Amino acid sequence: MIDNLIECISLSKQYISKNLTVNALEDINLHINKNETILLKGRSGAGKSTLLNLMCGLIKPTSGKVFIDNICINELSDDELSNILSERIGIIFQSFNLLPTYTVFENIEIAIVPKRLKESVVKKNIMSYLEKFNLKDKAHLLSSELSVGQQQKVAVIRTLIKQPSVIFADEPTGSVDDETAGEILDHLMNFRKEKEVTLVIATHGNIPEKFADRVYSISGGRINE
Amino acid sequence: MKYLFKELRRHYGRTIASISGYAISTLFILLVLSVTLTNEKSSFGILKGTGTHFIVYIPTNTSCCVNCNNEDSKGSLTAEGVNTIMLTTDLIDSIKKIKGVRDAAPYLLYKLYEPKYNSDISLGGIDMNSIATKNNVCAVTNLIAGKFLSDRPDEIVAEESFAMAHNLSVGDTLKIYGGKLILTGIVNSGIKPGKADIYAPIENVRKILKEDLKCISPGFDMNIILVEVTDSRIHSQVISQLKQRMKYFSVSSYNCYQPASETMTIIEKASRLLAILIFIFLLIFSAKTQLTSLLERSREIGILKSLGWSNTRLSNQIIFLSLIQAFIGVIIGIFLGFLIILLLNSNQIRLFNLVEFNFRIRIIPVLIVLTLTGGLIAGIFPIIKLSRSKAGDMINNFM
Repeated sequence: MIDNLIECISLSKQYISKNLTVNALEDINLHINKNETILLKGRSGAGKSTLLNLMCGLIKPTSGKVFIDNICINELSDDELSNILSERIGIIFQSFNLLPTYTVFENIEIAIVPKRLKESVVKKNIMSYLEKFNLKDKAHLLSSELSVGQQQKVAVIRTLIKQPSVIFADEPTGSVDDETAGEILDHLMNFRKEKEVTLVIATHGNIPEKFADRVYSISGGRINE
Repeated sequence: MKYLFKELRRHYGRTIASISGYAISTLFILLVLSVTLTNEKSSFGILKGTGTHFIVYIPTNTSCCVNCNNEDSKGSLTAEGVNTIMLTTDLIDSIKKIKGVRDAAPYLLYKLYEPKYNSDISLGGIDMNSIATKNNVCAVTNLIAGKFLSDRPDEIVAEESFAMAHNLSVGDTLKIYGGKLILTGIVNSGIKPGKADIYAPIENVRKILKEDLKCISPGFDMNIILVEVTDSRIHSQVISQLKQRMKYFSVSSYNCYQPASETMTIIEKASRLLAILIFIFLLIFSAKTQLTSLLERSREIGILKSLGWSNTRLSNQIIFLSLIQAFIGVIIGIFLGFLIILLLNSNQIRLFNLVEFNFRIRIIPVLIVLTLTGGLIAGIFPIIKLSRSKAGDMINNFM
């Protein structure tokens, strides 16, 4: 456990809706080391997103535990978890989860509001990232006015700007064209190399395995290396 | 703070709806309170002054003139048909110190058999500037003919019944009480505990008793103390306090203060109940608005939580949003209320030709506090909901 940055022990998740119980994940045991890039492969509905959400504490497991840096995130208070989410964890959602009535600038800014940085520093950082991603001229547009590829880029910037030590990316290139996908992956890998970040990517298969140190496949809520 | 105001602007329609809710509630409370307070003030004005007076004296079985030089005078200090003893002025000060006593005044009531009229004639010496005298004996407002008393030593006013019984008119001279007294006016004081046949200023009556009737009883300040309390609801408390301090006193009061007191208590309780009901309405409405707002925003709040926004930060945002909306709402509500009342009053519009709206400055702080409290409490429900939900569930709308 000491060498692992992320450790999932006997992790299970059931979704209960009315009389229907769905076993999304069953008895997942997973160890991820620091600076590793892990690819979680599986078809839609296999349980990839559920596993990512469990690993970053966004949902509660039905049973089992998740440790990040030897801290059991399931036992943290809401404010302690918020602290870890703002300082150490970055999440790229499959559906971007941008706020449609916020501008591009504001969508990125909300990710670093909890850090209480100076306004000038915030502005400089955001504009620098927007420039890297060729979105500088889109800063004051509403996120809903962007193309899907641009929205995904904004979602990636929103994660990277937090300077997290772990990034959970759920289908980061799933909805974009190959060129944009390549661009996004390049940015992620460069960031990983520069900042020595642990990267956990869920994909249904459009990300080449060469990017990963280890590849797991998920099927029917179970995981295989 | 930046995102707080942005949030208000961002969901413009919802903000307007929420503020309108607070404004309408405030307006409603303001109008109801306005009518209630006006009604309360009017009825209290009448009821508070109902039965607020009583008289105090010390009964005795001897007349004062047992010890005076004029033993044939057949006169005595009297109150309610019994003889009384003299009282000294310092008792007035003691009674005035009792909590709830508005005024206390001396009264000198003497009864003397006058052979010419073949009856006892009671002469009341009054302190003309006292509210206690007005409510217990008589005042200029009871005048029905002639003029009221002045400082002249030979002037008296008579009760209408006495004047009629003896066929007296204004300007007549009465040879009574060892001298000549001119009837300057006729009063009808109604049913009063200190009622007499004729009245004169107390100083004049003291002089008549000392100089004309040669009574030598010491003091001769008064034999009755007239008391006026501030509110009929505390009438019985004042009497019991007075009896505790001065056990030898006999207190005489008409019990009309009791129904007045009960009526006022009912009005007070009804007003409070109405205000509480309106407040509960405001509370339910605003809580519902804030909760709906949270449910609508659940996905956004889930996203913010996933980015590391703490529950504390988000809760503060919800509370401040609710308070800002409540504050803007209450200001608009007060302004609208003021405008409506102004329009109604300037056009002399009375609902049912009776209900009058009055804008009262003193209810503004009450309204602000009530609405802000409503806003605060309304914000608590979404916060409880928020703290119980995980970010992922909120994003996926599994709240």
